[in-house]
Amino acid sequence: MTSSSSDPVDNFGTLSDVEPLKRAWRNEKAAPEILRFEEQLINRVSEQIQLMEETVDHFTEKGTDPLTVSLYQMDLDRTQFLLRSYLRIRLQKIEKCMFHVLNKTELYERLSEQEKIFVQRSAEDFKKHLDESVLLHLPDNYQSILKQFTASQEDKDGKEDGMVPEPPLDTFVVCKARDYIGPSEFQGNSNDSLTMDLPLEMERDDLSFIPYRRIQKLLDIGKVDLV
Amino acid sequence: MYGRKACQLVKEFATSEKEQLKPFNDDLFDQVIKECDSHNLGIQSSVRKMQDEGLDTQTTRNADFNGAVIHHLSLVRNKRCLMAYIYNRAVVIRSLRWKLGRVLPEEIVKRLSNSEKEYFKAYSGALDHYMNDINLDLTVDMVPPKDPYIQVRVLDDIGEVLLTDRSANLARYSMHFLKRTDAEPYISQGLMRELLN
Repeated sequence: MTSSSSDPVDNFGTLSDVEPLKRAWRNEKAAPEILRFEEQLINRVSEQIQLMEETVDHFTEKGTDPLTVSLYQMDLDRTQFLLRSYLRIRLQKIEKCMFHVLNKTELYERLSEQEKIFVQRSAEDFKKHLDESVLLHLPDNYQSILKQFTASQEDKDGKEDGMVPEPPLDTFVVCKARDYIGPSEFQGNSNDSLTMDLPLEMERDDLSFIPYRRIQKLLDIGKVDLV
Repeated sequence: MYGRKACQLVKEFATSEKEQLKPFNDDLFDQVIKECDSHNLGIQSSVRKMQDEGLDTQTTRNADFNGAVIHHLSLVRNKRCLMAYIYNRAVVIRSLRWKLGRVLPEEIVKRLSNSEKEYFKAYSGALDHYMNDINLDLTVDMVPPKDPYIQVRVLDDIGEVLLTDRSANLARYSMHFLKRTDAEPYISQGLMRELLN
């Protein structure tokens, strides 16, 4: 993918959004939680893909040199793969944590309109499936899909004794700084002394291996990329 | 011993081959559900006994109370095991939609419970709806494309098919040079094989 997509693409002059798409795709792939939907980028890319398709069709009709056509076609296929893969990865993440996404407004707002419909529908279907298979056969107090037992209380961390899978935000990721980042910009876990003790800074293009939670904000504002 | 059957159920899933489904174990599943009911009866009878003796159920810590706690914990554990069994099977069922398409082969359908069959249909519908909305088929293009065209051998009689750029007669054992996007659905259904040099 690297060899053919940098220079020739510029000459073709149509797919300048390939790099941002690739970045969005890589970030989405490496992040443990669902990221903000890149709506404008995706809309632009879809339009460009359509344009490219028309160009290719046009060439084929005109009988342009088959090699040229197949180069365009290949470029088109690769972009389409990126787009599809990006949307697929998002769906997989949504499915994995559907109840969590639905419960947390912040996460829910990151989805595209179509994804919102999808997550609502799949959660409904899945709940029905779980209800019919297990929950309705259990004693009354144990039928909740979100908790193990109706009366169970929150423990001292304020975390419910729940049954809803959540993304592992403390997992380690490899990230690359796009700019210099000073120690104050990292998020520390307020109660986690270990991470607070380590002073941190990143030079531009530095690669670091770091818990996702600490760079969550930086990723959101585009100061780091995941690899 | 309490909880053993539920454990067996989860183990059965865990030891099956990855991405493969064993037949839904109705028998064991129902036994675990029954066990849950008897735990619930156990809890109720202990609590009733304490009430009959005029003890405060919130503060008393006698044998009956501890018995009830054990029943409660076993029940919760059983619930988690049952949920894990269904949940993990559902993950495989969803992946089948991506790999095999809307219609499942008979031998797989046989291994699903009724609710699972319904779930597969519902999931398939939700996914179709989504792909319709964005006007893009996401189930093709699963691997990064190297070349827009690939060489394939047809493994079964597919017959005359309309492809994106032309129609082709896909007879058994014939070889074709097709667009990757045309060939992929057939490959994932096992009707074609990609020929690699």
